[in-house]
Amino acid sequence: MFVLPPPPPRYTIPVAYAAGAANGMAVPVVETNNIITHPERGCPLQVGEGTYILQDDLLLATPPPHPSEAPIINPNPLATLPTPPTSGVKLSLVTLDPRKKPPVFLKSSLPAPQFGDGNPALAAPPVAAKDVAKRRKPKNNIIKSSSSFVSRVITHETSAKRLGDRDLSGIFAFANINRAFQWLDLSSPTKEEHLTKVLFTKAHMLCHDVNEYTKTPSHLDIVMGSSAGDIIWYEPMSQKYARINKNGVINNSPVTHIKWLPGSENLFMASHANGVLVVYDKEKDDALFTPEANGHSEEAGRLPLEILKSVNSKNQKTNPVSFWKMANQKISSFAFSPDQRHLAVVLEDGSLRLMDYLKEEVLDIFRSYYGGLICVCWSPDGKYIVTGGQDDLLTIWSFPERKVVARCQGHNSWVSSVAFDPWRCDQKTYRFGSVGDDCRLLLWDFSVGMLHRPRAHQASTRNRSSIVLPNSQNANRHRADSGDNRVRSDSNGTENYNENLDQTPSHPVEPRSRTALLPPIMSKIVGEDPTCWLGFQKDCIMTSSLEGHIRTWDRPSESVKS
Amino acid sequence: MLPQPGSTTDASRSVRSFGLRPLTWTRHFAQAANPPATAPPVKKDLQVPQISPLEKRLQDMGPIREDGSDKFYGMENYGNTCYCNSILQCLYYSVPFREAVINYPQRTPMESLEAALAKNLRYQNPNAYLEAEALAAKQKASSPPSARQAGVPPNLNQKPEDKESPEYKKKVALQTLPILETKNNATSYGMSESLFTSLKDIFESVAGSQARIGIVRPQQFLDVLRREHEMFRTAMHQDAHEFLNLLLNEVVANVETEATKQAFAEKALPPTESADSLVVVPSSTGSKSPNTTRWVHELFEGTLTSETKCLTCEKVSQRDEIFLDLSVDLEQHSSVTSCLRKFSAEEMLCERNKFHCDNCGGLQEAEKRMKIKRLPRVLALHLKRFKYTEDLQRLQKLFHRVVYPYHLRLFNTTDDAEDPDRLYELYAVVVHIGGGPYHGHYVAIIKTEDRGWLLFDDELVEPVDKSYVRNFFGDRPGLACAYVLFYQETTLEAVMREQAQENQATAAAAEASEAGKSNGSPFSPPLAHAQSAPVPPESTAPFTPLSRIPTAPPLSTYPEEPSEPHLASPRSVQPPLPPIPDEPAPPLSPKKSDHQLQKERRAMEKEKDKNEKNRQKEQDLLNRDIHRREVEDLRKAIEASRADSVDFAENGSPRKSSSFGFLKRGSRSLSQRLSKEKEPRVSTSDLSTAPLLPEAVPEVLLKDAELAQQFIKQTQPIKRIHSAQPVQSTVSSPRDFPPISNPKQPKQPIQPIQPIRAPEPLVKDQHTSHTKPGHTPRWRSFSFKKVS
Repeated sequence: MFVLPPPPPRYTIPVAYAAGAANGMAVPVVETNNIITHPERGCPLQVGEGTYILQDDLLLATPPPHPSEAPIINPNPLATLPTPPTSGVKLSLVTLDPRKKPPVFLKSSLPAPQFGDGNPALAAPPVAAKDVAKRRKPKNNIIKSSSSFVSRVITHETSAKRLGDRDLSGIFAFANINRAFQWLDLSSPTKEEHLTKVLFTKAHMLCHDVNEYTKTPSHLDIVMGSSAGDIIWYEPMSQKYARINKNGVINNSPVTHIKWLPGSENLFMASHANGVLVVYDKEKDDALFTPEANGHSEEAGRLPLEILKSVNSKNQKTNPVSFWKMANQKISSFAFSPDQRHLAVVLEDGSLRLMDYLKEEVLDIFRSYYGGLICVCWSPDGKYIVTGGQDDLLTIWSFPERKVVARCQGHNSWVSSVAFDPWRCDQKTYRFGSVGDDCRLLLWDFSVGMLHRPRAHQASTRNRSSIVLPNSQNANRHRADSGDNRVRSDSNGTENYNENLDQTPSHPVEPRSRTALLPPIMSKIVGEDPTCWLGFQKDCIMTSSLEGHIRTWDRPSESVKS
Repeated sequence: MLPQPGSTTDASRSVRSFGLRPLTWTRHFAQAANPPATAPPVKKDLQVPQISPLEKRLQDMGPIREDGSDKFYGMENYGNTCYCNSILQCLYYSVPFREAVINYPQRTPMESLEAALAKNLRYQNPNAYLEAEALAAKQKASSPPSARQAGVPPNLNQKPEDKESPEYKKKVALQTLPILETKNNATSYGMSESLFTSLKDIFESVAGSQARIGIVRPQQFLDVLRREHEMFRTAMHQDAHEFLNLLLNEVVANVETEATKQAFAEKALPPTESADSLVVVPSSTGSKSPNTTRWVHELFEGTLTSETKCLTCEKVSQRDEIFLDLSVDLEQHSSVTSCLRKFSAEEMLCERNKFHCDNCGGLQEAEKRMKIKRLPRVLALHLKRFKYTEDLQRLQKLFHRVVYPYHLRLFNTTDDAEDPDRLYELYAVVVHIGGGPYHGHYVAIIKTEDRGWLLFDDELVEPVDKSYVRNFFGDRPGLACAYVLFYQETTLEAVMREQAQENQATAAAAEASEAGKSNGSPFSPPLAHAQSAPVPPESTAPFTPLSRIPTAPPLSTYPEEPSEPHLASPRSVQPPLPPIPDEPAPPLSPKKSDHQLQKERRAMEKEKDKNEKNRQKEQDLLNRDIHRREVEDLRKAIEASRADSVDFAENGSPRKSSSFGFLKRGSRSLSQRLSKEKEPRVSTSDLSTAPLLPEAVPEVLLKDAELAQQFIKQTQPIKRIHSAQPVQSTVSSPRDFPPISNPKQPKQPIQPIQPIRAPEPLVKDQHTSHTKPGHTPRWRSFSFKKVS
């Protein structure tokens, strides 16, 4: 008779290391170095315009657990303790070279107003120094910090020299891996050697962003959001930092995504896992947050946006600047439109919410085919939004028409990141890429005309001669279509529910038979662990993965492209 | 508590190891001990009795409900029976399934159930355990490890027990929670003991119990299982998915047997009574009992179409198969969506696996793909984690990371599928923990109707966070992977409502926690919607696993004097949840309202002759043959049992009043069944010639298990009739089919699905029987004729 061995005892898992450990990766015991490899067989990406060649594979070192964390001996798989959120490696890239800036497609020169323009309480304080180079730095030195939040900081011995010698047009990369946060110089010949590595004690950085507006050769404003809810404003050149939302005083839920407000020097937006969207000011102190508006508890979560503190509030001495409750579901990600007026927010409940964030209102709510949405981005001209989610699909939404235009099928698992390639987009054709938990990188092309055919098919070349229907006609036709759909009920009708609560149009899920399906132009397994981030640069495509592989593909040379 | 005599389970051993005096607690005793006021002073080294996480989750439940949706019972493990426990829990929390099981053929009246429960539900004194433990601790402290108390096995040389360990918690649960025994109650259902009746025993006792939490002992269910299925007789680890498949098939078979039996009973009923029954039936069956025997099919059954395209003649042939669950192959780093898509991907039939093309007449290369034509209401997805490896010559467990979303739609439907965009929600996950297929442990994580997600680990029931469900993708250490996923149909409205309620619950809980107390009824009045359970908000989740100090259950969970009128009255007032057929169901489910039925019946009788001519002759012949044989067998059976029936009649029929109820219902289900049959060849004259005693018949028939088995076999062609819509038949004789379920089979890696292994009479346009009146079946049930 076979006797069942007892299940292992229950211990809690420091999950940060669990994902790696499960894949056979040893949990490091000591601090190790990043490793760069040049895979011999490469991993070429073949598409119409040529072949992208894998330049290198940079493996970020996973830091050892903090001494205070007990090693995992025999993790209990059934432990019911909630586990802290983690995220794979994400990158923030910054270059000071204007030639490497992505092309801009927006014609309107009318600058968008600043967030909270009408509020005198938010009027910028008189600027003391006109010199742009003299940006305000945070107060505390991160190296000398005695904070228990920061464990230690490892700077490269020659980092000062490397910074001085470097090519100013090079790219800096900031990357989080477990409790470490690394600053890399990708243009350096020894790019695997970090410039600075910050090790945090318990909290893990989940997301970060560099302020494009304030960057100078001697100043970079970085904000990063942690699993504890704390936000760090970090200036790497001077190694100064400040801690915002300290100990979660404003919101103690993990920060899922963080972005500087476009064109703002001080303000940034952070989404929290409890469905809250907060705008903070890097210069302001925290204050215990109490909702200013009376949230009606019956309506909580039904309204698409509950403004608990408006940007127009007179009380602007302390953070937060604004505080909006979108849902009780996790906000997965958000993205600002290129015209800097709109915001696309994707949530774990499967909704995509389009906002006029300057006016603090939700314009439209769309639903994923099923499952939560994970990532979102805008086309460079602001006409399209692409989301990726747990239905293994990428979905293209038309912003002016407010409707789904196509679903893109090609991933074998959840889609973790999506980005447009502005260097391969023009007014008619668009290129975007996506990565997912299936370890794949996919590239997609679509053109305005193609999307409106019932069954989209592969466009490997940038075909400009194809008949392109004027957008307005399409809009009409499809409006009629969706009107049809509203009659349908069963699994697809959604409207009635939300409409009696508020006026925000909530769009039904389009049935599969009515939606164009777009295949990828390229699909490639790029590694052995889930890919979690994707970025396009002028000369390369980059991805990063859960275990810390940063891969770079060079674009095909111009001659090949003809 | 009393260890079962002769049982050598861990549980009973643990009892002895604690040296507890066997105590039998009457309900009153337990209740007297329950209020904290009367609880004896707690020992110094024990903390103040704390409310368990589950009890915390169950606060503010309101009055005990009748439908069983507010019962959260662990199940005792008798040694490797976790496969059974986890599947039973998943089925219990499928609302339509539970309703159907409880109400078929009829629900046991509350009074008799309560009488039985009074005997079977045993409250324990939680404090007794506390004291005993404290005593043990004292002894341990005072005496050297070698010391042995009389009869107390040395628990002493062990390390102090980890109070967080599941073993400890299970032990405590077994010592402190009410224990519910199930007794064979089959006769009161008018059925012979079978897996179905013992399943119904469990469901009814749990649903009818007055305690919200406790532990049920599925001993009797296992006895039946082991008696009837050899493979489960060993104490070995079993495959939960195989068990699920077997159980569903058994339930189908048992219910069909019952229906056949009822058919005879109906025939033999005196005319007046059957007329009476018709008056009563519509109202009672409308709300109480599933009015077809096909409720398992309606819930779990879907149809797969395999399209095979012969590459020689390009002819596409289709074949429909029904399935109760889908088994999908896994790939590393994939999703359930992708696995389902792969399931429907094209497959080349070549080399040794060629396709026999009827058109070209020979083995040809072909392309085959499987698509879903009819979507089931409950989609059971089996992730094939156990794969046969040639090298090792045995099954190996795959630890692939396979992600599964909370919601799902199927991509692999046929173009003509109804509601191809149907939305499913994940409601239960069976998790296998262990390194291989031959050992390990199963637990179930289930979304309950209104109390969020719970972990059912044998005796232990613990509330968990919604995100906990995602710990079993297969990529985390600990060898725990999702093995069977249960998705149930839902609508986007329901999902959105649920999400909104989730918010409310969280908000309320947050407020309550801020206020420092949680009695603000964070979970507002019972929301009896299957799909709208507010999932526990993440912020309420951090129930730090309190060391499970056994506590006196709060009074609210254990209402006193369950038979008191004030408790009985709300129950009677409470409208019983509608059984499956009354729920808004997709148009697929073959059900009709009584009104429709009657109308159709009249129309049918008129068109009877006309229809007959439309029949295809070969089918006629085939069916006639089948039915002739069936009738013959039935007659034989009846005659063979007549002798017995005489004996039986002398002994007196065991139940007179109650038998009417089930007979009425039986007639109902028979007529339902016949209404869907195309060729009900069981002619009334044939049957009425058999002079049967109305009450004795069912018993007599069932006394002879073999005969009953024969019925199943004989009636199978009828059963299947409206299940599929085959276009091409590759089956010659329904008799050539393998037995109903072959539990060994599902493990074969080649087999992509496990449809019910039962004959399918592949007859054209049968599906129309309940859609087009012109093709509706004729009615032979004379009880109905009399009314009209």
